[in-house]
Amino acid sequence: MDRLRLLLPLAWRNLWRNPRRTVITVIVVSVGLWSILFFSVLLNAWSQSSRDTTLKMMTGEVEIHAPGYLDDPTVAHRMAPPSGALAQILNSPAVKAYASRVRVSAIVQSEYKTLPITLTGVTPEKERALSVLPAQTEDGRYLSTAHDDGIVLGRNLVKRLKTRIGKRVVVMVQDTDGKLAERAFEVIGVFSASQQVENEFAFVGISGAQSLTGLDQDISEIVLDAANEKSLPALMNALKAAAPALDIQTWRTIAPLAYAVSTFFNEFVIMWLWVMFALMAIGIVNTQLMAVFERVREFGLLQALGMRPRLVLLEVALESALLIGLGVVAGAGLAVFTVRAFPNGLDLGFLARGAELVGAGRVLDLKVDPGEFFLYSAIVWALGVIAALWPAWRASRVSPVAAMGRA
Amino acid sequence: MRLKPIVMQLGFVLLAAPALAAPPDADALLRAAFDNWRANSSMTEITMTVYRPDWRRSMKMKAWTRGDDDALVRFVAPAKDAGNATLKKGDETWIFNPKLNQVIKLPASMLAQSWMGSDFSYNDLSKADDILTKYTHRLINTEQSDGHAVYAIEALPKPDAPVVWGKLLVKVRDDGVMLSESYFDQDMKLVREMTTEKVSELGGRQYPVVMTMRPAGESDKWTTIETVSAQFDIALPAYVFTLSNLQNPRD
Repeated sequence: MDRLRLLLPLAWRNLWRNPRRTVITVIVVSVGLWSILFFSVLLNAWSQSSRDTTLKMMTGEVEIHAPGYLDDPTVAHRMAPPSGALAQILNSPAVKAYASRVRVSAIVQSEYKTLPITLTGVTPEKERALSVLPAQTEDGRYLSTAHDDGIVLGRNLVKRLKTRIGKRVVVMVQDTDGKLAERAFEVIGVFSASQQVENEFAFVGISGAQSLTGLDQDISEIVLDAANEKSLPALMNALKAAAPALDIQTWRTIAPLAYAVSTFFNEFVIMWLWVMFALMAIGIVNTQLMAVFERVREFGLLQALGMRPRLVLLEVALESALLIGLGVVAGAGLAVFTVRAFPNGLDLGFLARGAELVGAGRVLDLKVDPGEFFLYSAIVWALGVIAALWPAWRASRVSPVAAMGRA
Repeated sequence: MRLKPIVMQLGFVLLAAPALAAPPDADALLRAAFDNWRANSSMTEITMTVYRPDWRRSMKMKAWTRGDDDALVRFVAPAKDAGNATLKKGDETWIFNPKLNQVIKLPASMLAQSWMGSDFSYNDLSKADDILTKYTHRLINTEQSDGHAVYAIEALPKPDAPVVWGKLLVKVRDDGVMLSESYFDQDMKLVREMTTEKVSELGGRQYPVVMTMRPAGESDKWTTIETVSAQFDIALPAYVFTLSNLQNPRD
């Protein structure tokens, strides 16, 4: 402790013997750490957004279908509404929310255009708990009951159909007899989402969809969210045991892209950390080696005066720790400051619709995760100190005689 | 004793008068127009010409109809299109393409698509009588033209009828010749219009021989169909409206 009290001021003063070099190193470290932290925030926000756009739009965490539905989403692959053990699980606290849907390919026709859609018959109150789309109904209103006569379309689809709220569109589907069934719906609401979702989905009351397709009480799918993510595997097992004849899958297999994006981004942050660290290490080691070479005489003198090599090593390591510590604090501060600069999230509007291709929403909600910030800062600091042990070791190996002999 | 015939006569006049004064029934007028157009059965030869700003193209076809629901159209010229055929039976429509040698049942998504590149859609073919069944009709105007009374009939979709149009406006002559059919969107803006350009005697009746379909707002695009010859109310063999005849013509 006493030694530290002696060495700490020494190290601190040594740090500022060459302020320019110190500042440059601090900048290198802080910019490196800043990039790691900001990337991690950005990519986390991105993968969160990509998960949300996928799961909270239509997918949910678990989907239950009749076997074959996913390959051929028609009325032929239908299932009975949940009953018995399955209904029990769905209504248990392990399930946060669930909804039954009729979901079939269909055609929507206006006076000017005929376009393919996925007709989705929903129970509005259940849907609100699972999907953000009801809340994203920007014009008009969302469906009010399962018997609602209206249809809710995406903004872009409405534009392409040249229709609007209050007008009638005709929906055509194949019914259970294989015949063409058609029905007029009044457009009552327009929702905003990604362009693909806007173009694909049209929502009607589930009763209307069931009578149109001739499904009667049958449904196409059940979508549910688990009460918490960790209980998902257990819930899956329970569901599979309760309904062995049905095809039950999690979002990871139904929306592989969203899953890939979220795992890839985590890997990417780690990879970036190593790349940045390698660059930082070169800078730190270079600076400290320079410092050590310049001060060979000094280290020789210190040892000649009786300072143990161990203490020399400690002194130089302490110097590096302070130097990198400064950089780490500055970098973390800079990263927090940068994130704070986007209080309303990062608007990807400038990417136009490009961001949607990789599954992200329009606005990325940037958040500082203190645990992650601390972890990455600590890793960079610790690795930096370890790298700086080499110059420190060189300093401690200076022979007093040879050193004093140098001019 | 002489009172009775007078009373009877009076009664007859009283009964008949409203019938004479009443405007003709819109439903009946439309029905008559469709009957005149297609009869119980028909066999016609038609030339269809598609006009576009840079080109025009003529196709010859033969068409058979039976009742309201069944129709078969087969192209006979030019050689490039010959053999293409469309069969409509009840609610279903099939097309046959000789180059693919395949019969395809038309999916709903294709029904609104252009038929052989013209301004007609498959729907015009397969849902021609929608106007009779899915609309309510009202006589809105009567005028005289060329010695005929011309009735303008407005057709509004029945509530919940699966139709996209806001209204149709049809002009029918008193002898059952269809003069025009206009399609309006739900803002009552004209979208497309079919007009009869020439009426003459064909197959023993007055017939709209040349008809033109024009999309509204595009003055340089239209399609004309000219009926070259026609026979009505003939006995057609049952095999005409079959998938096998669609693919392998027997005539």
